[in-house]
Amino acid sequence: MSNVRNASDGYATASTRLRDYDYTNYYFGAGDDAFAILEPFGEWWREAEFGTGYYLYALPMGSAPSTRVSIADPKTGQTRHELINFASYNYLGLSYRTEVIDAVCDAVRKYGAGASGSPVLSGSMDLHKRLQREMADFKGKEAALVFPTGYSANVGLIAGLMRPGDLIVADKLAHASIVDGMILSKATSRFFRHNDAQDLDRKLRGFDGKKLVIVEGVYSMDGDVANLPEIVEVCRRHDARILVDEAHSTFVYGPTGRGLAEHFGLDDEVDIHLGTFSKSLGGLGGFVAGPQELIWYLRGFARSRVFSCALPPGVVAGLLKALEIARNEPELREKLWDNARYMHELLHEAGVDVGDSTSQVISIMIRDDAGIFQIAEDLLRAGVYINPVRYPAVGKHKSRFRMSISAAHSRSDLEEGARIITSVLGKHGKCP
Amino acid sequence: MPLTRYHYSQAVSAFFEMPTSDARRILPPHLQPLEVQHECSILAITAFDFTDSMAGPYQEIVLSVIVPPLLSRDRGMAKSAFYPFLVGTSTEASREHAIERWHLPHYMKDLDIALEPSDGRMRVDVRDGDRPVLEFEVTEYRSEPVDHLYQSFMVNGSSRFKVDIHMRGPHSEHEEEVGSLRLYEHPMTSQLTLDEVATYPFREQWMTDGVQVFEELETI
Repeated sequence: MSNVRNASDGYATASTRLRDYDYTNYYFGAGDDAFAILEPFGEWWREAEFGTGYYLYALPMGSAPSTRVSIADPKTGQTRHELINFASYNYLGLSYRTEVIDAVCDAVRKYGAGASGSPVLSGSMDLHKRLQREMADFKGKEAALVFPTGYSANVGLIAGLMRPGDLIVADKLAHASIVDGMILSKATSRFFRHNDAQDLDRKLRGFDGKKLVIVEGVYSMDGDVANLPEIVEVCRRHDARILVDEAHSTFVYGPTGRGLAEHFGLDDEVDIHLGTFSKSLGGLGGFVAGPQELIWYLRGFARSRVFSCALPPGVVAGLLKALEIARNEPELREKLWDNARYMHELLHEAGVDVGDSTSQVISIMIRDDAGIFQIAEDLLRAGVYINPVRYPAVGKHKSRFRMSISAAHSRSDLEEGARIITSVLGKHGKCP
Repeated sequence: MPLTRYHYSQAVSAFFEMPTSDARRILPPHLQPLEVQHECSILAITAFDFTDSMAGPYQEIVLSVIVPPLLSRDRGMAKSAFYPFLVGTSTEASREHAIERWHLPHYMKDLDIALEPSDGRMRVDVRDGDRPVLEFEVTEYRSEPVDHLYQSFMVNGSSRFKVDIHMRGPHSEHEEEVGSLRLYEHPMTSQLTLDEVATYPFREQWMTDGVQVFEELETI
């Protein structure tokens, strides 16, 4: 497209049009050729990647995802060292703990690099069984089932349990893995307004049949938490089962770290507990915890697990050690909360808009879809690694930085990080 | 055919979630509904206050289902593509003009379409004599001049049409979910399951003092 202006009315046309576009414009395109979308997408991408800043996603990290990281900057060709890391969700800093690394190495020496089989055939090792038992014990449930990823846990559980003719109602901000599970189940799907129990009630009304309601503990783009007491009450009134995805809240919320359901005293009111091992435990995998019969059922019907290779034994050994540390060192959770509260305070004092976030996931609201990538670049060059999030991952003009706080951050990391962030945001007119 | 221009003082549009099952029922077989979420398609409600056109000044309300744009190698990507399934206007002349020229399906009585801006909010009230049809409200955001390309699809019997439409003028757009919608039982809304349409828009657009430019009608 050429850079032209319409002389008759003065409105910019072709060149600004590309910048107005985003991923959503290229998702769907009618036509006869499946590749027809690629050329206009490629034209947009060539400009968007470096021209607007999409290159800021998936920057290669050359270090452990600890509190300071080395990041390769493909725009300049430089590697930036000692960036303060607010991008990784290593909430308890366990992925690089020496004991965890040692456990991984020992297991790799004993079991090799991979499980070499489906968990329902040859891929289940004694380590996998132990992890399932220990997760069930930690969650206080009869049984647990380990999945290759958190994504596959949601997809396998939802599609494994629900059928065409059933109803699934999920929070509008539910994770893609929940949505994909709903699609695969072929059940009727509805979404209720975020955290709005009244709208959930409306969506459940008048349906006779099996009903499943799905919410998350902490919402990963907004850092707010589910309004669980009201949502559980609505579910009970409609005889709907409830699944809580505690990906970002397990090991963070609750007196023993079981999650948001425990935090609200609703552990036994929630029918299905789901979580990941990639957040607080810093590894990989997902789990479902609940009644023994549910777990038996999912062993056969959760296709995402049945037809995937089991987690590598080294990963499982690392998870077992990380789980042991998380349970034996509650001070890690206390430190995480101290850090999260401190960062909230620092940002609040500086007048930074953090939206609705109340958790260790802090949304630094920029509300400028066109400008956020430039701010992200400036933050990177000033010493902070943090991920920009913009439409379509969030609504139009709801762009923000998603900040992940870790127990491993030191006070000086937090103070220096907050100082850099407020300074850069100030230069862009995004905070006083 | 030369370009056809419609000058407007106000143009507001809001996107609401609607069941995909309704959208599929409304659309002709050659069009698919775009989904904003699994089983959630998009009802677009657009209101215009036209100040100057071939049919004179008039007000218009357009109910559409959003569909994927038709790709073309020699044209830009359309920002959105619409299948208007029912249009209401305030004058007979405007209806005759749009039916003849663009094959747009119309509700055949004059409607009272009031666009009432105040304090950054635009309230649109559509009535059919004493009967309310719908009310919706959108809110303003940062405004900047644009020339956005859209597509509209129409059918007439077994004939299928498409027209490229440019919307030029100061434009504000956001997804703050602060607008509202109330639909009433009325022939204009009879193709919708009213309880299943969201009562708030997920996207709100507002343009002022601009021009809507239709390119030549294409048979597809």
